[in-house]
Amino acid sequence: MNPIRKKRIYKILLVLAFSVSGVSLILYSLNSNLDYFFTPSELKSQNIPSDKRVKLGGMVMKGSVERISSQISFVVTDYESSLKVIYEGIVPDLFKEESGVVVLGFYKNEIVYAEEVLAKHDENYMPPNIEIKNDS
Amino acid sequence: MIVEISHFLTILATGLFLLVSYFSLFFKNTKYSSNLVSRTYSHGFLFLCASFLIYVWLAITDNFSVQYIASHSNSELPLFYKISSIWSAHEGSMFLWIVFLSVWGFIFNIRIKNEQILKSNTIGVISLILVGFLLFLLVTSNPFATILPVAPQNGADINPVLQDPALAIHPPTLYLGYVGFVIPFACAISFLINGDPEIKWEKLIRKWSVLAWVFLTVGITLGSWWAYYELGWGGYWFWDPVENVALMPWLAATAFIHSLSVSIKSSNLRIWTILLSISVFSLSLFGAFIVRSGIIDSVHAFANDPDRGLYLLGFISLIIITSISLFVARLSIIKSTGKIKRLSKESFISINNIFFGALIFSVMLGVTYPLFYEYIFDQKISVGAPFYNAIFIPMVVIACLFLFFSIDSKWSRRLNFNLLTSPIVMSVIMAITLTILVSYLFKTTNFAILLAMFSGFLIICRYLIELILSKKYINPFSLIAHAALGLLLISISFNSLLSTERALNIKINEFEEYRGFKIFFQDIKVVKNSNHDSIKALFVIEDQNGKVFNLSPEKRRYLTRGQITTETAIFITPFKDIYMTIGDQLDDGSWIVNLQINYLIRWIWISASLMAIAGLVLIMSRKNI
Repeated sequence: MNPIRKKRIYKILLVLAFSVSGVSLILYSLNSNLDYFFTPSELKSQNIPSDKRVKLGGMVMKGSVERISSQISFVVTDYESSLKVIYEGIVPDLFKEESGVVVLGFYKNEIVYAEEVLAKHDENYMPPNIEIKNDS
Repeated sequence: MIVEISHFLTILATGLFLLVSYFSLFFKNTKYSSNLVSRTYSHGFLFLCASFLIYVWLAITDNFSVQYIASHSNSELPLFYKISSIWSAHEGSMFLWIVFLSVWGFIFNIRIKNEQILKSNTIGVISLILVGFLLFLLVTSNPFATILPVAPQNGADINPVLQDPALAIHPPTLYLGYVGFVIPFACAISFLINGDPEIKWEKLIRKWSVLAWVFLTVGITLGSWWAYYELGWGGYWFWDPVENVALMPWLAATAFIHSLSVSIKSSNLRIWTILLSISVFSLSLFGAFIVRSGIIDSVHAFANDPDRGLYLLGFISLIIITSISLFVARLSIIKSTGKIKRLSKESFISINNIFFGALIFSVMLGVTYPLFYEYIFDQKISVGAPFYNAIFIPMVVIACLFLFFSIDSKWSRRLNFNLLTSPIVMSVIMAITLTILVSYLFKTTNFAILLAMFSGFLIICRYLIELILSKKYINPFSLIAHAALGLLLISISFNSLLSTERALNIKINEFEEYRGFKIFFQDIKVVKNSNHDSIKALFVIEDQNGKVFNLSPEKRRYLTRGQITTETAIFITPFKDIYMTIGDQLDDGSWIVNLQINYLIRWIWISASLMAIAGLVLIMSRKNI
């Protein structure tokens, strides 16, 4: 092989090695930072370690909201199964009973300890998966 | 009746734009045809503008027979919000998007002489894109639909969180930025169609691209500022998919502007510049697709509609496939001549572009990965801040180090590396000292934050020293933009290092203490306003130095929709915000109040504004670079 071609091949290999390692680093950090989204029935049926952050989506069950000091607890339901959520802090404005909510937190002993509670801007919003089940 | 005129004018404009693209792309480029193209475009623009102005008039005069206006405006609204209600939802904002697109084309049309060889085709490409979007508007999301035979008495009102001056101007600014990149895109396509490598299309569009970039920067900043005070979460960036799809075109545009400066000087990086101009515009369109198709679940997304998503996806794919095939077909003629010298300014900008490319790739991955994952594994996931932090912090820090050394570099000349020049040594020492000082004063060992802070200090110190000590000429826009980046890094680092929040549980006439602030709950009352009732609290707060100020957070209930919103109360000082929101009342009569102390958050927006100013400086500069 002539030296120029050899040099070129080395160059291409170098660039390839760099991009492959770059992409795999990005993919690795992506994989270790994913939040899994569950409905209450999915979360119950799966074995989730309590140190893994999860997202729980569903509707706030009617009459389930309770407040003790600055702590709030409520039940999230997908009309099949439901789970209790405990949260410290102020819930968003659009948070109300019988409306959609997304909770970010940790699942321990059938209770979700929330770090964040989100409600949607759009008042027509329904959390995914539930809309369909509701219709049928 | 008037709405039909508006509707008709839009259809007419669509037809004219179709003619323009036909004339320009299928006629031989002569003086006659380019005049024809230019004039026909102007007429199409005139009709579209007239149509939009009539539509604005309809909104101002509360014409609730128009379905869109009836469901998004209200006769009680102030004039300003009656107008901004037009872009408060999908149909109207798409209309505005298209009008802006045609405005860019129109200004290009009148500013560039007909003799310019690329002009005709550029206008043709813009018109073709306009036709695609106008058809999308007319077929899938018609803002002119009417409610017949009986119009409602009053409209359903604009969403109260959108009744805000920043949010009224945030979408138009952002749209001006997004669609502004149609100019470099159309020009690149026109260059490829023409196929003559001697034409300097890069020079033609430099200022246009920078202007679009300025709009994009300001638009994103306004959105961030609005979210901070209106939504009551207290942050400035949430890595929400909708924010990310605005960030991607910004990153691509920033890379594009850098790469463009190389292509203007020499024909180096030409291929890359063209590819970037296609990417910036495609990413802008991709953003429109994500936001409007409802494919991604986001707090800012419009309501779902699969038809719209499908149309947009098809249209965007068509644009990308066509432009990429054209690009590949012409690859041989636009090959770069000459090599990039090691350690020249060109080489540093190439490195900058690699970093920007990697960042765009990561954000794209974060946005789309959940879609694929759900499709393959039937499991919903989301990608949040931890991923983006893990990617952005190291990459930005390393990119900043390259930036630091690139300050000495020169065009097409190898940089004589001398690490021991006084500006380099002095700024490194200063930055290290400052970082150690911060670490000592604020008792932190958070490596990521300190590293980001160090790179910020490094850049700022370097520029300061160069300004004071050496007589070297630095481009003013480059100086402002990069110093702003340094300031941004420092502000973000301090913000995440120092900011704290706490939910307090407080009764009226009670004291509470938090971080040296004495908080006294003086009063709470119900206030009735024309379109909302509100609960307004009054807190008297005394800081560590005995300075006293009031904060009155509110909770509003809007009468027409029954929607509840939070009005935050913010006390602004140069280096920190005291930020308060009020929650619900508990059974024992006490209220939940959230108190945040946000450090240097204003400086984050100031840095971003400085970047925009840097862009303006470039545009204003007489030198045609």
